[in-house]
Amino acid sequence: MATTWPKQRRLIGTDIPRIDGADKATGHAKYSYDINRPGMLHAQILRSPHAHAKIKKLDYSKAAKMPGVKAVHVIADVGTELFYAGDEIFALAADTEEHCLDALRAVEIEFEVLPFLVKEEDVYKKDLMTAPPRGKDRKNLLPGSEQTKGDVEQGFQQADAVVEAFYGVNVCTHQCLESHGLVAEWSDNDGRLTVWASTQAVYRTAQALAKEFGIPQENVTCITHHMGGGYGSKFGPDIQGIVCAHLAKKAKRPVKLMLNRADEVTCGGNRPSAFGKVKIGGKKDGTITAYTVDCYGTPGIGASRSVNLAYLPYVYEVENYSRKQDILRLNAGSARAMRAPGHPQNCFLTDSAVDDLAAKLGIDPTIIRRKNLPKSEGQGIDWDAVKNKIYNDEIDIALKLSDWKKKWHPPGKDNGKGVMKYGIGMALHTWGGGAQGNPPNECTVFIHRDGSVTARSSTQDLGTGQRTVTAIVVAEILGLEPREINVKIGESEYGYSTGSGGSTTCPSQAPAALKAATAARDALFAKIAPKLGVKKEDLEIQKGFIVAKNGKKTPWKKACSLIGMDTIKGEGGWSSVLALEEPGLSNRQVGGVQVAEVEVDTETGVVYCKHIVAVQDCGMIVNKLCCESQVAGGVIMGVNYALFEERIMDRQTGRQVNPDMEFYKLGGIQDIPRITVHMYDMPERGVIGIGEPPTISTAAAIGNAIFNAIGVRVPIAPFTPERVLAALAKKGGN
Amino acid sequence: MKNFTYYRPTTVEQAVALLDNKWGPVELLAGGTDLHDLQKEYIAQPDKVVSLNGIRGLSGIKASGSAITIGANTKLADIAENSAVRKHLPGLAEAASQVGGPQIRNMGTLGGNLCQRNRCWYFRDEHVPCLLRGGEKCLAINGENRYHACFTDSYACVMVHPSTLAPVLIALAAKATVQGPKGKREIELSRFFQAPAKADEREHVLAANEIVLSVSIPIGSKNASYEVRHKQSYDWPLVQAAAAFDLKGGKASNVRIVLGHVAPVPLLAGDAAKALEGQPVNEETAAEAGKAAIKGAKPLSQTGYKLQLVQVAVKRAILTAAGAKKYWQV
Ligand SMILES: Cc1cc2nc3c(=O)[nH]c(=O)nc-3n(C[C@H](O)[C@H](O)[C@H](O)COP(=O)(O)OP(=O)(O)OC[C@H]3O[C@@H](n4cnc5c(N)ncnc54)[C@H](O)[C@@H]3O)c2cc1C
Repeated sequence: MATTWPKQRRLIGTDIPRIDGADKATGHAKYSYDINRPGMLHAQILRSPHAHAKIKKLDYSKAAKMPGVKAVHVIADVGTELFYAGDEIFALAADTEEHCLDALRAVEIEFEVLPFLVKEEDVYKKDLMTAPPRGKDRKNLLPGSEQTKGDVEQGFQQADAVVEAFYGVNVCTHQCLESHGLVAEWSDNDGRLTVWASTQAVYRTAQALAKEFGIPQENVTCITHHMGGGYGSKFGPDIQGIVCAHLAKKAKRPVKLMLNRADEVTCGGNRPSAFGKVKIGGKKDGTITAYTVDCYGTPGIGASRSVNLAYLPYVYEVENYSRKQDILRLNAGSARAMRAPGHPQNCFLTDSAVDDLAAKLGIDPTIIRRKNLPKSEGQGIDWDAVKNKIYNDEIDIALKLSDWKKKWHPPGKDNGKGVMKYGIGMALHTWGGGAQGNPPNECTVFIHRDGSVTARSSTQDLGTGQRTVTAIVVAEILGLEPREINVKIGESEYGYSTGSGGSTTCPSQAPAALKAATAARDALFAKIAPKLGVKKEDLEIQKGFIVAKNGKKTPWKKACSLIGMDTIKGEGGWSSVLALEEPGLSNRQVGGVQVAEVEVDTETGVVYCKHIVAVQDCGMIVNKLCCESQVAGGVIMGVNYALFEERIMDRQTGRQVNPDMEFYKLGGIQDIPRITVHMYDMPERGVIGIGEPPTISTAAAIGNAIFNAIGVRVPIAPFTPERVLAALAKKGGN
Repeated sequence: MKNFTYYRPTTVEQAVALLDNKWGPVELLAGGTDLHDLQKEYIAQPDKVVSLNGIRGLSGIKASGSAITIGANTKLADIAENSAVRKHLPGLAEAASQVGGPQIRNMGTLGGNLCQRNRCWYFRDEHVPCLLRGGEKCLAINGENRYHACFTDSYACVMVHPSTLAPVLIALAAKATVQGPKGKREIELSRFFQAPAKADEREHVLAANEIVLSVSIPIGSKNASYEVRHKQSYDWPLVQAAAAFDLKGGKASNVRIVLGHVAPVPLLAGDAAKALEGQPVNEETAAEAGKAAIKGAKPLSQTGYKLQLVQVAVKRAILTAAGAKKYWQV
């Protein structure tokens, strides 16, 4: 019989505090950074100080003799070409972090310094061919090819108004609070490797380390009980993890290598930039008749696009469009997936233009948003069938929660007396968030004869509350409380799980937990039914009891004591394939609507974000409280993207000047607005992940709110006082 | 961090005797919020660190009829919360309460605040040849300089002086008492700072073997500090203005206006003060003073925007000092 979510849900969809919340608040929860093993050494990496150079000399003999040094490891030897300031060269392990850092500075190294490019705009002036070769090609500029649909010319001719503008978002970095890295320990007798890694992919990290060292995979254990943020940048051991394991092997001691803040910022990944010319045309009724975008972005030394070209224009259905993106390869840290890769950029390049078009047409931009929403096709619970309704409903809710009708005004008009101007703006987003896995993500549930329950999976909790999700699902099925479920996750030995990318963890794990708990329950019924003198089909679970059809209620613990010497075990698995075969447990694709309210000090250009309304669907809500905090977290990241974060590269030195938290600005308590979250529940769709979507549209919504406040577009994010003042000056004072 | 020997003397004389007559080999330690950072980044590499924290009498706030005297080792949090300071020197209380975050204010001291090193990102990156660490030229002049000076004439290094207490103290005509091998001397805060141009110069005029003991601040003026900040939490100002003046019969006299984060030193804005001198204080006169404050500015490639901020900060500092309505608050 196919498994389904229970019709009556006691726990699922309610507000359940994280089962590990107290541990985290009290410091009991141990992150990889907190792991200290007996005799452990500390390692750090010597990196290229130059944006592009060749190693001429590398002499670490003095360094190796420095106090406390126990092992050294060459990553890039003489002759190696280094492609950005941060490229790894050499590492060593010493008894203290201080000794380690002192010793690294004793390495004698000489470089042949080579030309470099670190700024997007410079690539168009002259391609210096300084990118890491792809085949033989070292070009910095990878020109995009144009994709078109319909007839753009005709589309613009049909328009009542056309807007042409340049918009852009700068590179920002993941800034994981817990930096990348791990603690590695080899056991001397059997060559087993254990790592405590800060990773979003526990299983895959163990796999990759086994491959690197040519040892059987069962000889590597990766442990990640708690994790301080990854956002898409932590999918494997990475070079620093591999180096750490090598050092541990050489030193025959446990070694910890966690990146320091500057390395974290320059080398730990980033969200690529996107700048571009956008042209949009529309009719008075709000129909977008044509949209073109010609943009560029930099993945650093990577080679990927920075927008999701297939989703441009974003969210809206437009008959005629053309789109193109050049990839500018710079001598800077490589882009990595970052919370909905490509989508915040897509949203910015689309939703900003929508509001500029609305202003030219003299209409409320909501009219354009509604008019061009994707139309639903077919029936049922899948995205195509429900998307139009979801967006329309979410727009309604967002308008209401923000009091839009009362507050919206034409851009720059009726925006308040005095120098402080009020504005309101909206943007829309979408994301996948379906189940993953092949083989399926595994979950195992054990019911012990003392009544205790263990749920086990190798999946990881990045801070999204996955541990609690598993507890809720198992507790729901077994009639217990989430706290009564002993959830063991984050160890590669606990079976197969996919990495947490693409908002896929909850939709992969919750159905697996459901299946495992259901199987365990059925096995329990089979085991104890004869002892209760009933048929197993006649048993069911009510909160705290096992109840027979004849009305006899057996308390949970008592029932479990009938298990005897055994332990009951139930297994469950879930994957993208199973999700198609058994619809209703999980699904994919969500919408999302956000409204931002800002005040802009027109004398100083300082933007105060006062309120964000975030309306988000995620199919069936498992834990409403966690969903809401996930959305709030996404919004906070979006506010930072909009107002503060920017990687600043220096043309003279080729280095990032702000690899820190001082001038790489991140909002503090006073900078974060009131956040109103509304979860739009559609239990019939099944579980969908929303790790990423709530961060997508915040920046575009804030940009639109600023436009609404001051009547002129600030085209480039982050919206710093300098950029706001420049826009105001262009408008001609206020 | 380079290894160092740690000293914890119990008298100022012992401390002075431990110091060197040139900068570098010995550093004084107060709260450590700046020094330890610099050591960890290998920018400061002293052989000896001399703590001031074992010396009694270096901290505390004393109010007399005409002045408030603050010991050099007084924590910024204590300055921000002191009732006499809040009453008579609201500009100083405001500036102290805005520094960094609670951790910085609870550890950072007045002496450390005045003697802290600049925050220029080239200065603080060990891998680049900053002028103040022996390089040939200031990298900010043709580099990334959005947070640097907009008054640049005659300066070889174009960082901005970081202290937000300094502009207020200068506006208030405060004096520092310092002690060196030859005994004590007094320095007006307006002469305390200098623009360093090479590795063996600091952002202030003290000799390497002098210690700030206290700062004495006359009371009686109307005073205020206004910072334009990008972020409201944990950020440096983009521009700061401090204003102090007497207000008699509705007119301002003895006006002193000092700008922060616009030049390598806190900058006395004489023209701005002159513009307000003898005037009634209102939005128009305050704005006129603001306009006068940017005379002589020569912004870098990315600091032109600061000129607007200087005008606004001066205007708002003056109006705040006079207790006028804060027109910028909704
Ligand atoms: C995140 C952050 C934000 C900040 N924001 C601000 C801000 O907005 N405004 C602002 O003004 N400051 C700001 N600061 C700087 C802060 O105010 C200083 O770090 C602090 O005041 C230094 O005091 P300390 O006692 O810790 O000094 P230490 O680090 O102990 O010393 C700093 C320097 O002063 C010297 N020194 C200390 N005491 C004496 C003395 N009595 N006589 C002679 N020399 C002495 C030391 O030798 C050393 O060179 C910020 C700092 C941080 C880290």
